[in-house]
Amino acid sequence: MSSSGDESLRLCVFDLRRGQTEGQELDKILFFHPPELDPSSQLSVTGLSEGLITFTRLFSPEAACEVIEAENHSHVFLEAEPDIWMVMVVEKNKETGAVWRVDALRGMLREVHSLFVMFHGSVRALLEKESAVGFTRSLLYPFIKDYLSNLFVGKQLQLPNFRETTLSERGTVRMITLSRDTALEVQSLVQVLDSCAGNLRCHSMILFQDLLVSTTLSPDDTVNLFTFAVMRLTSQALSSDASSWSYRRKGTGSNSAAIGSIESLHSGNSDNMRHDHVIRPLQNGKWRKGKDGFLVTDIWGLETGGSPDSAIPTIWLQQSQERVYLLAYQYKSLTLLLLLPTTAIVNGDISVSAVKQQVIEQASLRIMKIEEKISRGWGGENAYHVKGYRYLVVDNDLEVSRASPSGKVATLAKESLLALNKLREEVDLEKSRGKRQERDLEICIRAKNNAWVIARVTRGKELYMALEKASDTLLDATDAVGRFSNRYCSEAFLMD
Amino acid sequence: MKEKNSTTTASTLGRILATCSKQAKDYGSCVASKVHEIEKDLCLKEFLALKSCMQHTRHLSALINMPSSSQTSVGSGALSHAYIQHPSLRCNVPDSRGLFYDDANRLLICATSTQVFSWETAPFNPDVSPSVDSIPEGPILSVRLSLDKKVIAVQRSDSEIQFFHRETKKTLTHKCRPGSESILGFFWSDSPLCDLAVVKTSGMDLFACDSAMNLRLVETKKVNVNWYIYTHESRLVLLASGLQCKTITGFQLSTAGVVRLPKFEMTLATTESNSKPIISAGDVHLITVYGRIYCLQVDREAMLFHTYRFYRDAVVQQGSLPIYSSKLSVSVVDNLLLVHQIDAKVVIIYDLFVDSRAPVSAPLPLLWRGYQGSDPSFQATNKENESSESSTSNENIVMYEDAWTFLVPDLILDQTNKVLWRVHLDLEAISASSSDRTSLLEFLQRRKLEANKAKQLCLGIARALILERRPATQVTQAIDVLVTAYSYSVKAGIYKELKNEKSTATPPTDGASPDNERRRASGSSIDDEEEEVEMNVPSGSADEQQESQLSSPAISPDELYKFVFASVEETMIEESDYLVAIITEFLRSISAEKLKVDLNIYVMTVRLLSRSKRFAELSLFITNKIIEPSKEVALQLLESGGQSLRVRKLGLDMLRQLSLHHEYISSLVQDGYYLEALRYAQKRKVTSVRSSLFLEAAFASNDMQHLAAILRVLSELIPGFKETSEYYTFHGLLNETSSSVAV
Repeated sequence: MSSSGDESLRLCVFDLRRGQTEGQELDKILFFHPPELDPSSQLSVTGLSEGLITFTRLFSPEAACEVIEAENHSHVFLEAEPDIWMVMVVEKNKETGAVWRVDALRGMLREVHSLFVMFHGSVRALLEKESAVGFTRSLLYPFIKDYLSNLFVGKQLQLPNFRETTLSERGTVRMITLSRDTALEVQSLVQVLDSCAGNLRCHSMILFQDLLVSTTLSPDDTVNLFTFAVMRLTSQALSSDASSWSYRRKGTGSNSAAIGSIESLHSGNSDNMRHDHVIRPLQNGKWRKGKDGFLVTDIWGLETGGSPDSAIPTIWLQQSQERVYLLAYQYKSLTLLLLLPTTAIVNGDISVSAVKQQVIEQASLRIMKIEEKISRGWGGENAYHVKGYRYLVVDNDLEVSRASPSGKVATLAKESLLALNKLREEVDLEKSRGKRQERDLEICIRAKNNAWVIARVTRGKELYMALEKASDTLLDATDAVGRFSNRYCSEAFLMD
Repeated sequence: MKEKNSTTTASTLGRILATCSKQAKDYGSCVASKVHEIEKDLCLKEFLALKSCMQHTRHLSALINMPSSSQTSVGSGALSHAYIQHPSLRCNVPDSRGLFYDDANRLLICATSTQVFSWETAPFNPDVSPSVDSIPEGPILSVRLSLDKKVIAVQRSDSEIQFFHRETKKTLTHKCRPGSESILGFFWSDSPLCDLAVVKTSGMDLFACDSAMNLRLVETKKVNVNWYIYTHESRLVLLASGLQCKTITGFQLSTAGVVRLPKFEMTLATTESNSKPIISAGDVHLITVYGRIYCLQVDREAMLFHTYRFYRDAVVQQGSLPIYSSKLSVSVVDNLLLVHQIDAKVVIIYDLFVDSRAPVSAPLPLLWRGYQGSDPSFQATNKENESSESSTSNENIVMYEDAWTFLVPDLILDQTNKVLWRVHLDLEAISASSSDRTSLLEFLQRRKLEANKAKQLCLGIARALILERRPATQVTQAIDVLVTAYSYSVKAGIYKELKNEKSTATPPTDGASPDNERRRASGSSIDDEEEEVEMNVPSGSADEQQESQLSSPAISPDELYKFVFASVEETMIEESDYLVAIITEFLRSISAEKLKVDLNIYVMTVRLLSRSKRFAELSLFITNKIIEPSKEVALQLLESGGQSLRVRKLGLDMLRQLSLHHEYISSLVQDGYYLEALRYAQKRKVTSVRSSLFLEAAFASNDMQHLAAILRVLSELIPGFKETSEYYTFHGLLNETSSSVAV
């Protein structure tokens, strides 16, 4: 392959319905990373992928291939939308720590796609609206680039490897635990926010630091908006001004390199740029807190120019299938996201500034009180650390997860993590086999370093755990898991 | 009949408006000119002028057109907030020399030349018959019975008081030094120091009186006295001195002893025409509301009613009320101050509990109500009876005529007709005319006399607020009022049924020191009760207690749920979002007061949230325990889970957490997780679930391996399972299938 750029990652998005005639193959490529790779190399990746997809569809029409493990590379496939495929090719290398869990990588693909849909709508819809592929490309290129810019460590793009993905679950929300009276106060605030647009009920979401406090959105919408908020809007995201989206990567340096490469990409693909202004929702460092407590950005244009409402970010909600304005208000560690249906504003039923005024008048006092209450009750970064355990609990129904703090996970031995990573791969495989029926699963493995790695799946809930200091017997290890389940998972995981 | 009334009313109104066009114009222009700054009572003067004109005209029209005048009410129209009710207590005794009121014993006394008739006025019962005592003939200035009612004291002149023992018939005459001083009046006291106080122009003499009726002078308070006022409920005597009678010396003769209040001066405005106005005894009123003692004083030049509040060691002026009549009187009903503006023939009601001195409601006339109010036929017959049996016919009642005397606290004596009325409040009318629901609820929650009615009104208001879909903030305020009032009354111990709850309280009417002011504020019924104990006379509001059995209008959270939330759920079916918002605020309010509520409200919340498909919030409500876990909630979750598997799982989790093993296992099997269910049963040693449930589920899924496994586990789990017919049936089924497979 080409020697230019880094070879560790290839990422492409292509449409199987396009470029079916010979010589038109390039037409199907909607996105390719690295962009500077020559077209023939790009085509070789998509060509191989397409071939594999067509071939595997013969046997499994509904679910074509998910992954190909080559000797040095893994090819991860995701059919994001019907016939819109995303493929990621990563280099494997045990020595350098380039050990991947396929589901974690696919989770990234799913995440970037979900975020894209949240801001721009589905790729298919875009393609259908604009017969020329250029517009879709002009949106996808900066979007995925901006997304990947978070993964730069120095000048090097680094995908999150097993150290980061083993005890975490992408596509879930991390929630804060509240006392009942705080929860009631929060719910009361939510209702005030709901009614800030008069009779029109608007959705809201509240975060404390990078933890979810409350949401009125469906789990899917919640996850998407939560992911974006943690990436760009929370107090931490604003203060670091650089990528802190994956909180396991706190303190990574600035990523000017990434920004630079995006600028070059713009000029490089200028033929695709039919529209003067391309909105880049994931662009970094573009949000700041305004005087009135609301977050402002010029990503959607300048508030002074043209209709002021057009400068306000909008997102697409999957559940209600409507486009909404996104207003973000921040007080200390508390970030409030308010979603107003655009139709109502276009119809002139309400104005955004009036809603902002309402929030400030009706809610700011409560927000202050709640921020204080939550901060007082919150145990800090290690609030959810359980001594002796390194764990991850996932509730797939609510799309919520909770895990040991990253600092504590980092203390695990590489062997333990690798073993657990392997175990998770097994569980992922098992889960994908039994998709129709939720099934119970229980695996305990003794790793080479004598640590116990344990997986427990029951009716939509998953528990993963590494116990390095557990005693020798399996019985003791299961007891430890049982105690944990009884104490922290409301006995969800019954142990034999 | 109704129709007829309304047509006549319309024509009457037309005529009245024609006659009062000038006043109507004045009032209208006043309102119009101030329409931007309009607030209550801004154009009160103009309004009163118009009103009095209309009243006047109406009286004329009533004369012309007798049948149209309502028989059930005298006054103007039927709108009023306070009323007196038929029948009255008749105290018409032939050859009466005068009517007196003994406020300590709450006796109405009518004296003839040789006899004293006395009627109990508390509880107020129009049919009570008087007790009669004979006394020697002589002039009578006033009559008061001792607190044990054994001695009748009669003031004969300004220098002589006579005492008659009702049992021993002993007589005693007390005289003061004639010429140098004269007796202004006297009253009995229950202070430990003295039993009788005689107020003279030179001061006040305090006497002890033994059972043999020997008077012994205990103490003399030397003050120059022009006039004095005393009420037994406050145990407070105010002695007025000075040229303008505005220097007041006060004593409280309470059970704690005799306390001298600091001397104070009343406020009087002066004008050029009247540079030295003089206060008369009739201008000053002592009232007791919410266990606090106030003094009200008329300032005619300023057209103000000054209020003073008495503390143990201070007298503090508390602001002034405007007056609209040169003649005034006051009543106190259920801790509310009723100021009768006699010239204008209206009552203005004030609630001194709130800091604002704004009236509770607009000035309206006092109404005369017929027997039981609304049944016309009944009134008619009643009226006939009445006119045949007595000379006082209804038409003779003239509101606020000169011969009316206002007695402490809530009685009106009509000297002309020789009848006694009790003043009532119409809480319904007051609440109907009030637009600020929050303060109205606070007002109603302070009512004691008709606690039940106040409670019902509060519930009605709360329901109406929700049904009218008022903004959540408004409803929240209202709910907060009700919840805090309840919480407070529980803490104060008032909420329980009273009766056997005798005075845990401190000495009554002790000038309510500021620190225990709040306690007294809603516990003022304690005062009445204590009097009851001490004086061994039925007093206070005994009749109302019988009527309602309630001591407080406080509404418990359970009642709020039952009578407000549950009752509006059906009609608000389209407004679940709104209702959930209200319920959340209700729960917040309850949790802030650390109260508990009927768990059905949680069941209802689950129902509402799942009805509007707000599953995300529902799971937040559950995980944050806003909805407290219970079996009922769990079952509702399972039921609502028909629409969403997530919700059903929440219900299952709750069952498991509550250790409701039987329900948990049954629900698991129902969902097809029979293996998991059996595993759980095995682990928890639950044998109460029918074993056939598992077997049938496994058989239905056509998995013979599972069936065999279940049979084995059940045989281990349930002793003697192998002997049951169930085992046989399924074992047989298993053998059949396996053999057929084998074949």
